[in-house]
Amino acid sequence: MDHDAYIDAASAMVGLTIAGEYRPGVARFLAVAAEMAAILEAVPLDDAELALAPVYRPPFPKAEHA
Amino acid sequence: MLDPMDDPTSPWSSAAQIAAAVRGGHVSAVEITRTALERVQSHNPRINAYTDLTAGRALREAAAIDRAQAAGQPLGPLAGVPFAVKNLFDVKGLPTRAGARINRELVPAERDATLISRMNQAGAVLLGTLNMGEYAYDFTGENAHDGPCRNPHDLSRMSGGSSSGCGAATAAGLAPISLGSDTNGSLRVPASLCGVFSLKPTYGRLSRAGTFPFVDSLDHLGPMARSTQDLALAYDAMQGPDPADHACADLPPRASDPMAGIRGLKIAVLDGWFHDNADDLARDAVAAAAAAFAGVTKVSVASFDAAEAARAAAYLVTNSESAGFHLDRLRGRIKDYDPDTRDRFLAGALLPAAWASRAQRVRHWGLQQALELFRSYDLLLAPATPCAAPLSGSKTLRLAGQDLALRPNLGLLSQPFSSIGLPVVTAPIFAPDTLPIGVQLIAAPWREDLTLRAAAFLETSETAAAYPPTVIPPAPARARLH
Repeated sequence: MDHDAYIDAASAMVGLTIAGEYRPGVARFLAVAAEMAAILEAVPLDDAELALAPVYRPPFPKAEHA
Repeated sequence: MLDPMDDPTSPWSSAAQIAAAVRGGHVSAVEITRTALERVQSHNPRINAYTDLTAGRALREAAAIDRAQAAGQPLGPLAGVPFAVKNLFDVKGLPTRAGARINRELVPAERDATLISRMNQAGAVLLGTLNMGEYAYDFTGENAHDGPCRNPHDLSRMSGGSSSGCGAATAAGLAPISLGSDTNGSLRVPASLCGVFSLKPTYGRLSRAGTFPFVDSLDHLGPMARSTQDLALAYDAMQGPDPADHACADLPPRASDPMAGIRGLKIAVLDGWFHDNADDLARDAVAAAAAAFAGVTKVSVASFDAAEAARAAAYLVTNSESAGFHLDRLRGRIKDYDPDTRDRFLAGALLPAAWASRAQRVRHWGLQQALELFRSYDLLLAPATPCAAPLSGSKTLRLAGQDLALRPNLGLLSQPFSSIGLPVVTAPIFAPDTLPIGVQLIAAPWREDLTLRAAAFLETSETAAAYPPTVIPPAPARARLH
């Protein structure tokens, strides 16, 4: 994986400038993240396995609490 | 001469002893507080656990307790007990620095975090705020802005992080109770390296309202102490629903009963990931705990095969969610970040969304695997860290014959459980004058009571103890109690 090309493309997409001195560190942590993602890819997930919004609870209007 | 352990102003007095002495009128809360503040001023420069002392406030809180005592009013279970909080807790009048240079520019907090208010209501006295890794993205206790928090058992070694000041202050006799946070192991790693007890409750048990977030999906708050009894006193004082934290469960407080024993509980030592990624010292600590349990109850060996994937999920949720939270600051203030968190935050902002979303699904899958284990066992046992405190400045960790980057890996045994929100007590297992290490006592969701019972058993069987570090000189015993 060419991390430099990915850093260029993805950082431009999110509007984040990554200085040259930070690049080796960022590339190293992207590589760690990719290793973690590969471990997740190996998990046999069922389509029913969903937990995409850990907490999303719209508040009730105050009157309904009374 | 009095035994220092009977002197409520001793640095090694427990919260329970202090509260009993204050309630009984044997010592004033002001005297406890004044002694504690002097001790922090004297010892903190070497350890660097505290970042702010709230001396005026502490003395006012203590004076109010003494007035209530004199008037015969009922006092709380933590009457006059000094405590301190990781500096990501809002403390009225202080900017919530969260270990960051940038946050020092925040306006001072207008009110205290919920858990501070609850500790105050129980009679505890806030001494100040504690050092931490920047924005809690840390396992080492190092901080470029405030300096490293040092391990009281060996000042050349790491305290562990990110609740570094909690572990160091409580171990060094500078706060019998401290409050910290744990997203991936930030209570359990410093508790293990500094040799104290910690409780990371179930995700959603304790309110996080009024604290600076790291990763909303994974952030937990909890106490550290030098005994299970103190841990339970603090935990009981802080339980209860809070609409100000959207993840806080609508459950009423339930008093812990740590002395209820463990007879009849089924306990399993975790092998696989938790054996392979631990050194001999960590394995010996688990073996000692298992041997103690085996004297009174059934102990087996079990595998939590989802551990590595749950840990990987936690890594990606943390990296992605925290970077999203910080994106504006990463764009505008990158030079003000600690170099040791900066590159990881930047990488997190670039991750594919599909990775983070799969990570959330894997967390759910991992939880189901753990619940399956809890059909057969009440408690699981594992090391809290792969090794004892590394030397400060270390960059690598040698595990299973491999050199790994230390920062992301010091928490690889704690991450699988915070990933899926299980309650965990860390109990210290070490001999006096040696480097501490802790074991994790893990239960099913909402069963903090079992983890506390197991820790109390290890204490009463003299397997676990928060031995004072030798670097702190013992306080002279007071001539007379009054």
